[in-house]
Amino acid sequence: MENKTIKTTAFSKNKAGEFFKTYGAVVGMFLLLIVFQIFDNRFLQPANLWGICKNSAFLILMALGMTFALSVRGIDFSIAQVADAAAVISAFLILKDVPPMMALLLTLLFGLFIGLSNALLMAYLGVPALIGTLGTMFIVRSFELVLTNGAQPQVLFTMPRSVTGTFLNIGQGSVLGLPNVMLIGILAIVVIYFVRERSVLGRHMDAINGNVRSAFLSGIDIRKTFAAAFILSALLAAVAGILICSRAGSATPRATESYLNDCFVAVYIGTLLSKDKRFNVLGTVIGCLFVGCISNFFTLMGMGNGIKQLCNGFFILMAVMMGTAHLRKKN
Amino acid sequence: MMNSKKVDFRNAVMRRSTGIAMVAIILIMGIRAPLFFAPANLMTVLKQSGILCMTAISITSVLIVGGFDMGAGAMVQLVCNLAAGMIISYSNPALSWGVGIGVGLAFGLLNSFLVVYLHIPTFVTTLGTMYLMNGLSALYNKGTALAIKETAGFTVLTQGSILGIPNIFLLVILLCGIMHWFFKYTRTGLRMYACGENRNAAQLHGLNVGKYLILGYLISGTLLGMTGVFQCSYNYGASAVDYGMDFLVKALASAYLGSTFSRTNELSMIGTVIAGIFIAALSNILIINGFSNQIVSGVLGFVLILSILLTVIKKRDIGQITIF
Repeated sequence: MENKTIKTTAFSKNKAGEFFKTYGAVVGMFLLLIVFQIFDNRFLQPANLWGICKNSAFLILMALGMTFALSVRGIDFSIAQVADAAAVISAFLILKDVPPMMALLLTLLFGLFIGLSNALLMAYLGVPALIGTLGTMFIVRSFELVLTNGAQPQVLFTMPRSVTGTFLNIGQGSVLGLPNVMLIGILAIVVIYFVRERSVLGRHMDAINGNVRSAFLSGIDIRKTFAAAFILSALLAAVAGILICSRAGSATPRATESYLNDCFVAVYIGTLLSKDKRFNVLGTVIGCLFVGCISNFFTLMGMGNGIKQLCNGFFILMAVMMGTAHLRKKN
Repeated sequence: MMNSKKVDFRNAVMRRSTGIAMVAIILIMGIRAPLFFAPANLMTVLKQSGILCMTAISITSVLIVGGFDMGAGAMVQLVCNLAAGMIISYSNPALSWGVGIGVGLAFGLLNSFLVVYLHIPTFVTTLGTMYLMNGLSALYNKGTALAIKETAGFTVLTQGSILGIPNIFLLVILLCGIMHWFFKYTRTGLRMYACGENRNAAQLHGLNVGKYLILGYLISGTLLGMTGVFQCSYNYGASAVDYGMDFLVKALASAYLGSTFSRTNELSMIGTVIAGIFIAALSNILIINGFSNQIVSGVLGFVLILSILLTVIKKRDIGQITIF
């Protein structure tokens, strides 16, 4: 009898512990948001939160691509640069009188091309992902600077609306009160959730993340899986770039590079939301919204880039520290 | 007899392929722009390569132990800002040196603590501390450039020259010599190599891998701190533009390109410095040839990928695609 009660209390304690282990990070984030609200009461107003959700779509697309790359133990540094280049290329093509839909298609092809070349380098030639994608990042940067003749902004909104209307409508229009950008973001989340968490490809990625050698020995084509991760991440980045360009109506080379920092923070915070601290789609999405909140708060408070970068570093280190501590305890 | 000689010749060519390719590239580009080979320009190239070589030496010393440092460029920038600030406020170069080396050591300690005691992968650790350093630089300089004036005993270190050879290049040679001696001829250095080449084997031989990793991060932190102060002296202050990533890519490219000199792709200080000079020469010769500054970064990315490709393509194994 006594034994039993002890067992049950221990069980319930464990349960509470388990709950905090899994959702402690979410609780922490909510507490931080409440602190933000105390500092500035504009923060938690519906209009502001709506704005954050609307603007997070771009980051969500890129961070989901990064999630793919990280879940096969790779990394993609070129992601923000590809988005940047995609924005510039689509604007450049439309300015050169290419029909908007054609420009869109060509930009997607550019994303696919970068994805394929990354996949070839990383998956089939064996270049470490970190070095290879850093190289790609610099090559793409150079390419867009040469294309725009030294970082000249490509301005679309001064062109007649009859030409650019269809293109700008993607980013600026809305359906039933929901902005298109948000709809595309939600669609991407749903599709990618199924690809990453519920499909064969996603399972193969899990296997590679667990142990590359045993994944190979159990008959998974690891090179193909690895390649798929890079192609998906470059394509998602290209879509994000097109959306950014079409929403702003202009594209300035190197303007979206800072998304890379936010991507890392979002993805690493996202790992805290899964039980075994893995990269996962829903965690990444919540991480993106959280990063959106932080950026928004810093803008409201008028704090500069320095504080934001410090926080980036702090959040990444915190997230990884908690993750590794958890995994070591388990082993 | 003839046959074996032929094979030997081929082997010799293969072994020196990186060096031959480097010389060929410089010669081909140089024919189009003979100005490159003017002694004054060659000295300029050596001067331009100085800071790059120092950063590359620092990053090589942590790569040798099997670590990694994303924040090398960010550290140079942070220390450069601090050093410039010290000179502006107190006009005392000694203070700059103290702060520079101190900050370098502090971040080296932080990195090694996170890596060795908290078991965070080196890449993520240094990514996090890179953002910390970027944030501190931005907070310190408040988005403006910190320019310093000609300071006695400080700017001459990198701007002056002895018998026509830039001082900074002599410093690079000195540093390279010391580090080469340390890593190749001392017990500690050789053990650090062992830790980097095969961690498990080193552990089985009774080496305390964690200790050598800490040492590697401390050495590289100190060197990066010094590099930052030299950068301040070379640039007459600090710029507010974030150049951390560019520095990192150049330094990594030098380290990996340098490792292709050896048959077993072993990282070495001398190789790193030669590759660093080659990269500086390449940037210089591209500009003399009339290419715009914008494509230089693309060429660097290309060199980085190519150099790592040369080292991995020989040992392209099935389980090895996912590194970091």
